[in-house]
Amino acid sequence: MPAQRNTFADRAFRFLLRFFPSEFRGDYGREMEQVFQAQRRESQRNKAGLLRLWGETITGIFTTAPREHLEMFRQDGGYALRMMRKNMGFTVLVISILALGIGANTAIFSVVNGALLRPLPYANGSRLVTLTQSAPKAGYDNLGFSAHEIEDYRQSRTLDQVVEYHTMAFNLVGEGEPQRVVTRVVSANFFEVLGVKPLLGRTFVAADDAPGAPPVLVFSYEYWKEHYGNDSKIIGKQFHMNGKVHTLIGVLPQIPQYPTPADVYMPVSACPFRSNPATINDRTARMVAAFGRLRAGATLAQAQQEISGMQVRMVKTFEDDYPNDMDFNIRGSMLQSDLTKQARPTFLILLATAGLVLLLVCANVANLSLSRQLRREREMSIRAAVGASRSRLLRQMVTESTILSLAGGALGVLLAWNGLDLLISFAARFTPRAHEITLDGRVLVFSLGISLLTGIVFGSIPAMFSTANPYGGLKEGARSDASGKVRQRLRGSLVVAQVAVSFALLAGAGLLLRSFYKLTQVNPGFRPEHVISMLVDLDFDRYKNNSDVARFHNALLEKVNANPFVLSSAIGLTFPLNQGMMGPMTGKFEIQGRKRAPGEPMPVFDFRSVTPGYFKTLNIPLIRGRYLTESDSDPKQAPLLINESMARHYWGNEDPIGAHVTNDGGKTWNPIVGIVGDVRQYGLDKSATDEIYCTQAANPTSTASLLVRTSEDPRKLIRQLTELVYSVDPNQPVSRVKTLEQLLDQSLAPPRLTSALLGGFALLALIITAAGIMGVMAISVSQRTKEIGIRMALGASQGSVLRLVLRQGLTLIVVGLAFGVGLAMSGTKLMQGLLFGIEPGDPLTLVGVTVLLVTVAALSCYGPARRATSVDPLTALRSE
Amino acid sequence: MTVMEKRSVEPLLPMTAAMFHVLLALADGDKHGYAIMKEVTRLTDGAVSLSAGTLYGILRRLESEGLVVEKEERPAPELDDERRRYYHLTEFGRRVARAEAERLEDMVELARSKKLMVKVKPI
Repeated sequence: MPAQRNTFADRAFRFLLRFFPSEFRGDYGREMEQVFQAQRRESQRNKAGLLRLWGETITGIFTTAPREHLEMFRQDGGYALRMMRKNMGFTVLVISILALGIGANTAIFSVVNGALLRPLPYANGSRLVTLTQSAPKAGYDNLGFSAHEIEDYRQSRTLDQVVEYHTMAFNLVGEGEPQRVVTRVVSANFFEVLGVKPLLGRTFVAADDAPGAPPVLVFSYEYWKEHYGNDSKIIGKQFHMNGKVHTLIGVLPQIPQYPTPADVYMPVSACPFRSNPATINDRTARMVAAFGRLRAGATLAQAQQEISGMQVRMVKTFEDDYPNDMDFNIRGSMLQSDLTKQARPTFLILLATAGLVLLLVCANVANLSLSRQLRREREMSIRAAVGASRSRLLRQMVTESTILSLAGGALGVLLAWNGLDLLISFAARFTPRAHEITLDGRVLVFSLGISLLTGIVFGSIPAMFSTANPYGGLKEGARSDASGKVRQRLRGSLVVAQVAVSFALLAGAGLLLRSFYKLTQVNPGFRPEHVISMLVDLDFDRYKNNSDVARFHNALLEKVNANPFVLSSAIGLTFPLNQGMMGPMTGKFEIQGRKRAPGEPMPVFDFRSVTPGYFKTLNIPLIRGRYLTESDSDPKQAPLLINESMARHYWGNEDPIGAHVTNDGGKTWNPIVGIVGDVRQYGLDKSATDEIYCTQAANPTSTASLLVRTSEDPRKLIRQLTELVYSVDPNQPVSRVKTLEQLLDQSLAPPRLTSALLGGFALLALIITAAGIMGVMAISVSQRTKEIGIRMALGASQGSVLRLVLRQGLTLIVVGLAFGVGLAMSGTKLMQGLLFGIEPGDPLTLVGVTVLLVTVAALSCYGPARRATSVDPLTALRSE
Repeated sequence: MTVMEKRSVEPLLPMTAAMFHVLLALADGDKHGYAIMKEVTRLTDGAVSLSAGTLYGILRRLESEGLVVEKEERPAPELDDERRRYYHLTEFGRRVARAEAERLEDMVELARSKKLMVKVKPI
């Protein structure tokens, strides 16, 4: 009935048929149309019948079609599994390569997911904004806030809460030994804004923060667990701290603590410094950090505008507290991005690297499948001859590749899972969120996604170029020349892609390794070997004045120096690479007889108060003048040492020795008596700041570290040194015991781990590529056996055959290198921030990487090329 | 398709009612799809009515199991629609259908022995 064929109903039915597999449609589609037309004719006069017919038809199709798809998948899958078993070598190889590629991506994605993508584990984490007050012209990136300023910013309309906190070290006295605890002093709304509910007891309420409120404490989960062994009856227990009795009111659950882990939390009113009226009433006593919560519906930009406006008003109203030349500034930034600022570039580069490795894996596996497909040509042709459609064959091949990639993916996830602890400790060097890294649902979905994608990509490339047809492939030796060439070219392009990607990865890894090497070659300005440090933070309650502090330090040094293994010892307010809570202790100075230009800010320096033995203990060289001595103890005219940088910056070619400087506005003028070498105080990658040293005798500090240089491994002396501290004061805790070599090693860990990881990826890429080149060349040689045989029969020497094959291989490599250089040039630019002392386009690195890659690639070609020269012309001519 | 004489029928049993009806419809002669559909409706007084999707899903399975084959011989062109295909019950298909019928009979027998049904005298 041609007239009826194209009614709307026909078209609708044909559309429904599309839900069946194409094969089923091919077999039964036309007949089903015919049947449906007949059914329609029959029920045409009956509206209800027609409706029922449509209902039944649609239901029938939607119940049968999925079953047909499943059946087809079962058949394809069963067939694929049989083929995989038959080619065990191929199967194992492909699954392993895929597992490495997918495993690498799963691992890196789990890091990105845990640290960068997951919402903060706090209530309203996406509305938390950190506030940073700075005075860039005076050299302060982060000034902190004073009590008055916090009160003022609490009037904000865009931030519904403003929280303050700061961190102190206090001695906590309970039942056992006194403990030095990291104490976070927080406003009462701290936990409420973060949405943290206590595990035991309660957290702070406004009444705890009122002046004169009974002192209370909250323990962190980790501190409670380590020191009180999960004792759930601990609430209500009393502790002595800062000369007062504190009651424990709560224990926190196991949550990532913001901004860093602390042992104990106390409200502002309990902190002897922060609750001091002198601090509260001084608008310039900026000692606390702050964050706020955006009011629902407010944006960061609105909040920024408002707080900037508030600051402008404060600067106008309190001119004396905001000196004009300091250029005060306030910035709000999302807490979430703030926590991962340092980690983001490294993690994203690693993710991009892992992505490149996966691309390479795809190209490599596609090449392997192409080669195997050659051997399966006959099988495919037979299947085509017995009626398998092209789409069915394609589907068959993609099913096989998908099963392989799913198996590879499963193994990859297992690999990633195994390496998770390692990854977390790696990520912990970059972000406090590292402990949130797990293989969660999102990571697994990601892995499943890339596995499927990989399977489809590497399966369909060879499938699209399959020449399976019922005629060609069945004839012995009939391999169509044209399609053979297409495939050879495709294989060639895949090799080019692999070489290009490998080059880019090697270049990235090369740059990082060279940068790391340069970092290790930096002279830190001191000798870290055999030096140990320990923080001996005196309890300000018992060491109230300078003479108490000096007496303790002298007694301690005397005892330490009496130890036969001690070469020298010192007390220092801080020391190089110290990772304590104390930030840089900076001050401003003026040089006698020099006038500052109007508006020019006062120069800033780093202040170090040390005992004279400091320079000998750390081996800091004297450049000119003299070292400090015990007798340099009069604070009124205490002699100072400056470092080379400072001498260069402020005196240039003049001699600073004999010059006088002041940092108290001219009340005291101190003479400079010597210049010492620069020290990389804050890390090998950070250049030296301007430093002024004075003696502890003139400037005793209750917070200080003991530094000891020993004649043998200083770790053996830890116990003895700690006991010496106890022998001077049995109630004095010792903490942060570290050798300087350990600190140096820790400071190098992030670049070392990053370059090792990227280097590992690059090595993996190189091996995969070398194997890929070897495979392609081997096939090419075996395909050209006849041609080579003819050439040799006509008198070609072994050398010329070798050159012929090598030339073919090297052409691919050179083309790949050309693309690789382009990829590396644009890709490594993103790494700029990770590099030290080297530029992204560093020619030496690029040349080195080229030599390495060409050598490996040439070696990979050499094997197949050698095989070509051993072709026996007679055998070759008889082959195929 | 080769006729699998020695093949065991067991793996195919029990079968769905719809599938059994299709076999029954083909038991007394070759039919095209629409005719099978109508025959099933007639045999069951309309209790079972197959949609096109369901019918061809069943036919695909029966064909792949070798219970049914497509017939090469066709009626005279003036009586035919070229889109039609004619289906023939193979010897194996017939054995399977018989086995299924016997299985059902055994079940009925069992139900009778448990006094669930009254025995009816054969006509």
